[in-house]
Amino acid sequence: MAEPALKPANTQADSSPVLSLRGIQKNFGGVTAIENFSLDLHAGEIVALVGDNGAGKSTLVKIISGVHPPSEGVMELSGEAVRFADASVARERGIEVVYQDLALADQQPVYMNMFLGREPVRGPLRVLDRRGMIEATEKLVRELDVRIPSVRATIRNLSGGQRQGVAIARATHWATKLILLDEPTAALGVAETAKVEELVASLRARNIAVLIISHSLDQVFRLSDRICVLRRGRQIGVRRTNDTDKNEIIGMITGLIESEPA
Amino acid sequence: MLKSVLATALVAAAMLSSNAANSAENTTVGPHGEKPAPAKEFVLSADEEAKIKAGNFTAALVWHETSEYTSAVDRGAKEEFQRLGINVVAQTDAGFDAARQQADVETVLAKKPSVIVSLPVDPATASTVYDPARSSGVKLVFVDNSPAGYEHGKDYAAIVSDDLFQMGEKAAQAMGAALGGKGKVGYIFHDADFYVTNQRDQAFKTVIARDYPGITIAAEAGLADPARAEDVAQGLLTQAPDLDGIYVTWAEPALSVLSALRTAGNTHTKIVTLDLNEPAALDMGKSGNVAALIADEAHMIGVTAARAGAAALLGKDAPPFLVVDSIAVTKATLGEGWKQSLGRDAPADLLKVAQ
Amino acid sequence: MAMNTSTMGNLTRRFDLQQWVVYLGFLAIFLFFAITLGDSGFLTVRNLSNIVLQTAPATVMAVGLVFVLSAGEIDLSFGSTVAVAALAAAVVMQSWPMPLGILAGLGAGLLIGLINGALVAYLRLPSFLVTLATMGLFAGIARSMTNLRSVPVQNDLFTGIFGSGALLSIPSLVLWTAGVILIGHLVYRQTRFGAHVIATGDNPRAALVSGIKVARIRLTVLAISGLMAGLAGLLYAGRLQAARYTLGETDLMTVIAAVIVGGTALNGGKGSIIGALVGSLLMGMLNNGLILMGLSVSDQMIVRGLIILGAVAVSLREPNR
Repeated sequence: MAEPALKPANTQADSSPVLSLRGIQKNFGGVTAIENFSLDLHAGEIVALVGDNGAGKSTLVKIISGVHPPSEGVMELSGEAVRFADASVARERGIEVVYQDLALADQQPVYMNMFLGREPVRGPLRVLDRRGMIEATEKLVRELDVRIPSVRATIRNLSGGQRQGVAIARATHWATKLILLDEPTAALGVAETAKVEELVASLRARNIAVLIISHSLDQVFRLSDRICVLRRGRQIGVRRTNDTDKNEIIGMITGLIESEPA
Repeated sequence: MLKSVLATALVAAAMLSSNAANSAENTTVGPHGEKPAPAKEFVLSADEEAKIKAGNFTAALVWHETSEYTSAVDRGAKEEFQRLGINVVAQTDAGFDAARQQADVETVLAKKPSVIVSLPVDPATASTVYDPARSSGVKLVFVDNSPAGYEHGKDYAAIVSDDLFQMGEKAAQAMGAALGGKGKVGYIFHDADFYVTNQRDQAFKTVIARDYPGITIAAEAGLADPARAEDVAQGLLTQAPDLDGIYVTWAEPALSVLSALRTAGNTHTKIVTLDLNEPAALDMGKSGNVAALIADEAHMIGVTAARAGAAALLGKDAPPFLVVDSIAVTKATLGEGWKQSLGRDAPADLLKVAQ
Repeated sequence: MAMNTSTMGNLTRRFDLQQWVVYLGFLAIFLFFAITLGDSGFLTVRNLSNIVLQTAPATVMAVGLVFVLSAGEIDLSFGSTVAVAALAAAVVMQSWPMPLGILAGLGAGLLIGLINGALVAYLRLPSFLVTLATMGLFAGIARSMTNLRSVPVQNDLFTGIFGSGALLSIPSLVLWTAGVILIGHLVYRQTRFGAHVIATGDNPRAALVSGIKVARIRLTVLAISGLMAGLAGLLYAGRLQAARYTLGETDLMTVIAAVIVGGTALNGGKGSIIGALVGSLLMGMLNNGLILMGLSVSDQMIVRGLIILGAVAVSLREPNR
């Protein structure tokens, strides 16, 4: 049995975790959706969350992003125990989510989406600072190499990959601790997937933690530093990507390999 | 035509008292207590007509809404204006909205018409609506009612309307004829504070009592809600099953009475009601229960209004309150009566059954 | 992520046509009437100013509706709100000073808007059904308030401020229109609230997860619509020097058409206050010109319907993807 990979693999192994989950449990009525889940996420690493449909991945994302409070367990953000009243509190604390449906306003320009709900204003009349938004968006898009015709372009006129780029760029702009990516390439073609993966990989350098949900094991092995497997709400195990292979992960997902003792 | 009745009634409420006093005198009176003058007696001489034709005048028609009644008045006015060489340059429909009628008056003034013929949506507040026209010297002729505060001769040329008492009177006479002067009659009146129907209903009763000693009103029923006309009719027939005739306040509820009679297999009881209505006319044409429909000469209202406007252009005074005749339309007079009232031919299928 | 630039260019051009359709349509119809009706008084200052003054209440209502539609909701009740507000103001002014009358009119509009808004925002009832119901409800209340009687407004100051008056020889109705358009445009385009209204209509889920208080936005836009209808009621009462239960009733379809033609999306996320102004003027000009052409009432309705249909078809067409 491989050594439990609760600690990150990279050089920041000694740093304290950005987010620490301890014994998280979530019950809906009598049903237990998540059972005794523990994981540390460190700045600069990408952790993949895998598991079959209904394994509890989305529930876990909702707990971390403040949509659902956990029924039991402790969440620590940079060492401080937190309990998010709702998603906006989690967001204020630096946790951003890129949803599967992207949550972009289709008829608005890129720069307005970048600042959706958090538009900067200036002057005593609190007028929208469009120029500021445009400049900040242009800078970010250039840094992340998101290729769109213009930050004034309307979202509906962009390709799927470009939209995903905008959604990730938005999360990157606001996240100070953690980005949660829910199936970021599910609807994309091969070329666009590659571009988005490049973008996700580049987030390591921005010193934030990334938790990615994906169905594609190829992608998981290409992108992640560690892999956490869930099955039917139970945490089957965490592996360093370099120390495992697809067969082991598939075995853990399907139940051929039983969970290690906690 | 009920719609015109509704519009008129709003204003009429204000003058109920004066009318109630006057209905005892067996005449219709104008909104400001004017004595009625027969419309047909107001004519222009050949000389006057020639002057009008030479005047290159124009007219605008500012209606309160579009209905069968308005379109008959509208047709009459257009025909008379055309005959007098007056060009109708604009027409509007306010959809019962006083504010829109105000805009309509302003708009048609851009065409600088010499005459405006109009039915005020809301006479009580209509002075604001017509002031721009009045102050720019346009001759105003009103149908049914005039704006509160306006003076005949100074502010407007004439009001042209129905002779309500005469309508009730003709209904009584038609009933007398249908029953051969004797029998038992049911009386379904409009049980609401409604100037137009009240006057007509009251006139029917007055004339029956005065002129037809052989006819008794054996049963009465008030109609408050037209949608419940059939129940009211059933009640009346249960109360007095041997009625020879039934007077119904207007044609729509008369259809419900008709259906109640048919359900009972009754072919004996005659119906007399007011306003032209196709299904009722069809029954009459087939010699069913309906004996007569009393109609106003809506077309003639338009003709007279146009004529009064034209006369005003020559400085000739029209009487303040001109009333048109009404007609008792029976099976025999269906074709001509329809034409006389609405100014157009009766529907072909109607004429066919009436042959 | 290479972009097919020629497709992009096409889309941009088509989008521009949509944005400009109301202005082009306005210009085309204006030129048509100017040429064909030049000698029928269409171009007189009096007639053109009539169009602006006559459309003032509709324009004010249109501003409220732009907010409502942009947020992805609809208001069908503003027409009957106009009557309730006008009657409330007129009745109050019969016994109390004018400022209370103004307050009563605007307050009635705002209250109705808040009722609509609360039902939509907090009970999550569809605004179409809520306002369809309250349209009838408040039309009934308008009728019963004075038993169908018209209420004269004899306060000269009131009729001056809201109707026939002028300041520095600019008619008060023009000032009201300009003020409402200016403030409406700034709030819509230049504030976070405006941005949140548009985002809510564009993608309510995205707005919600972005921290926008979607329910409060829905409440507020319907309240704005009610308030604007209240102001429109005061303008009508001032102009007609009377309040009546039918005021505003016929404006519902005209205002909706004006707003849609003006480039506001029926299903939210996109709108224009200036476009609504031009759309409203377009409707007024159409009414005016068709009457001056001497068309019969039924022909006026047919032609107006066809032109609105054409304009709406162009402004609502989805850009091809």
